[in-house]
Amino acid sequence: MHPCPRAFRLLLILSSVVGAAAASAAAFATAGPAGALPQTAGPATGLADSAALRATVFGTPPEDMAPLPARVPLTEIDLKLPWANPVPAVFWFDKKLRVWLSAQQTPAPLAIVIAGTGGDGNTTKLATLRAALYGAGYHVLTLPSPTFPGFIVSASRTGVAGDLRQDGADLYSAMQTIVAHLPRRVQITDIDVLGYSLGGAEAAVVKAIDAREGKLHIHRAVMINPPVSLFTSIGRLDRLFALSIGTGDAGIERLYRQLYAELANLYRASDRVELDEDFLLGAAAVVLKTDAEFSSAIALSFRLDLVNMFFAGDLYAGTGVVVDPQHPPHVGDPLEKIEMTLRAMPFSEYFARVFAPYYLAHRANSTAKSLIAENRLDIIGDALHGDPDYYAQTNSDDLILDKPELNWLEHTLGDRIVVYDHGGHLGNLGDRSQIADMLAMLGGRWHRPAP
Amino acid sequence: MLAAVLAGCATQSVDISSLPAATPAADNAAAAESRTELAAAVASEGSETAGENGATPPPRLTPADAPSMYTYDPWERLNRFTYRFNARFDAAVFLPAANGYRRLPSPLRSGVHNFFGNLSELSTMINDTLQWRLARGVRSFGRFLVNSTIGIGGLIDVAKHIRLPSAPTGFSDTLGTWGVHPGPYVVLPLFGPSTLRDTIGLAGDIGTRYGINLFDLYRGPFWKTGTLDVADAVDERANTAFRYYATGSPFEYDDIRFLYVRKRLLEDTGLHRHAQPKRPAPGAEAGQ
Repeated sequence: MHPCPRAFRLLLILSSVVGAAAASAAAFATAGPAGALPQTAGPATGLADSAALRATVFGTPPEDMAPLPARVPLTEIDLKLPWANPVPAVFWFDKKLRVWLSAQQTPAPLAIVIAGTGGDGNTTKLATLRAALYGAGYHVLTLPSPTFPGFIVSASRTGVAGDLRQDGADLYSAMQTIVAHLPRRVQITDIDVLGYSLGGAEAAVVKAIDAREGKLHIHRAVMINPPVSLFTSIGRLDRLFALSIGTGDAGIERLYRQLYAELANLYRASDRVELDEDFLLGAAAVVLKTDAEFSSAIALSFRLDLVNMFFAGDLYAGTGVVVDPQHPPHVGDPLEKIEMTLRAMPFSEYFARVFAPYYLAHRANSTAKSLIAENRLDIIGDALHGDPDYYAQTNSDDLILDKPELNWLEHTLGDRIVVYDHGGHLGNLGDRSQIADMLAMLGGRWHRPAP
Repeated sequence: MLAAVLAGCATQSVDISSLPAATPAADNAAAAESRTELAAAVASEGSETAGENGATPPPRLTPADAPSMYTYDPWERLNRFTYRFNARFDAAVFLPAANGYRRLPSPLRSGVHNFFGNLSELSTMINDTLQWRLARGVRSFGRFLVNSTIGIGGLIDVAKHIRLPSAPTGFSDTLGTWGVHPGPYVVLPLFGPSTLRDTIGLAGDIGTRYGINLFDLYRGPFWKTGTLDVADAVDERANTAFRYYATGSPFEYDDIRFLYVRKRLLEDTGLHRHAQPKRPAPGAEAGQ
């Protein structure tokens, strides 16, 4: 009897190969045998160099990982939040916000970690950070990104994700409820927040809100590879998509057909019976060769995350891009056409057709320009500059930042930022120096090494 | 059972459930090890197959040979209903059971897993023979002999360590070898994603197991066969790192369908390894 075919797990891996989240997976490209991955000289996209693209896709190789504890206890907490909107029929499974807690036996500081764009509260990257933080003596609470559909449905006041202030406010409320409902044996001595990618920017905003409202008394915030301007960073990923995959459905279909043929040829050439895990992991390292292919993987992964956010936003805001506001889909309705349509749409479409119409109607005196300006870390620039408890870690080759943005971060945070030479976007998360510096920052022990 | 399913849907404001502990250090060590193995496997893959097939490498597929991105799913409404039922049943029954099982010591669990794997070797052997892959059938039988004896009734996978790795196959693959198309997508209650051919294959595999009645395990009083089936199911579930709606996405049904059918079609290209790939008819949906 096979309750859920084993195929499931493998399929998820296949999808992550396509989606480039195969962090631990085919990580051997960098240290594997010479020739396992032909090195192509020169960036294909003009957006990032080869090493940055590869690091972004493969993540930290296991042998470079910081020491992790043998055992991390895990508790899942599902909460129904009173301010959530009525749950649309097609989101019946997202009624509750799901977060994960790893608690120490003794009183300890609590580290709250926020996932990056589209991530749930238990991504591989969160699991790495959780392990490192738990090992260093923190209670650890991991939260989904406010752009994750489960969060949009169960914890957002608007249903239209992507606004730094609104998402920060929703996160802040959710954190208060969660902290109030933690098991009684969990004794908290202090609260710190951190997050990676978009979650990093949100962690800083949450700390800034708390400084004003004082409900949680958040002590320190650490941003890991944060964006500076949300929409500029996302625009960069849209451009990566257009350059590496092409525009519209045709580009995605071309990528799919190419990948299918490559996998089939590899499979036929091997002596394997089943398209198993090992095969897929090996395939990831062989199929992705050129910068353009790595770029496609990164761009597609981001685009697939966007689809859910777009759909939920359109549904909640009633903007009618793919969902007829008068006749929202029911449970059991076919949705494939909608998904395919959304897959072909860049973030700029979400901004123009869902996000801007919604916020222009709901926020007095705003313009498209002001919405973009409000989605920059500048909105808390003074706090970042003046408050010694904000920290950041990033890489000089992070593809979501350009030079002026990186300069702005360095100028604003001064000694409280560390910029590593390599790692692309999150490609060094979990490695020894990233974890050691992060722990030093959270503990208030960090000193910028003399140049 | 119904009560348990309904209990899973009850809405309290806060649910706290303790999960089996994570083991990051061991996971990372395992990742490092499989990385080394993979590097070796990728390096040897090319040379191995070239030697085996002599001068005729299998004909290459081109992007035009890929099946449509759309999947043939004429029973979509029923399938979506079943998918939802499975999700609820999983949350209420299977997953808690599997999480309890995962707290047992790891040698015990791998013993159970190997035991059930060993029981399926004979059916694999029969299907290998029906697919005219005789070398594989012999290997499967060898695995069965070694593991049933030296491996103490199948509790230890000794064969794996003497270069006889497991290569399970079933009646659906046999039908595929004979040219039967996958047919429409089907979501089976409890079993999950399938196709019409995979469903018939599954029935065939269950029938084969019953027919062979290895060690007299599959016939007799209900408590015996029932316990065995439940143990097999829980072990299988505990070894499947999938969670319904972990994606939080309303498109999960569509995504799983896409991936499941593509995976099976890719495996079919391997069944007809040396045949010229059949180009799908324009406009046909995958699986049709």
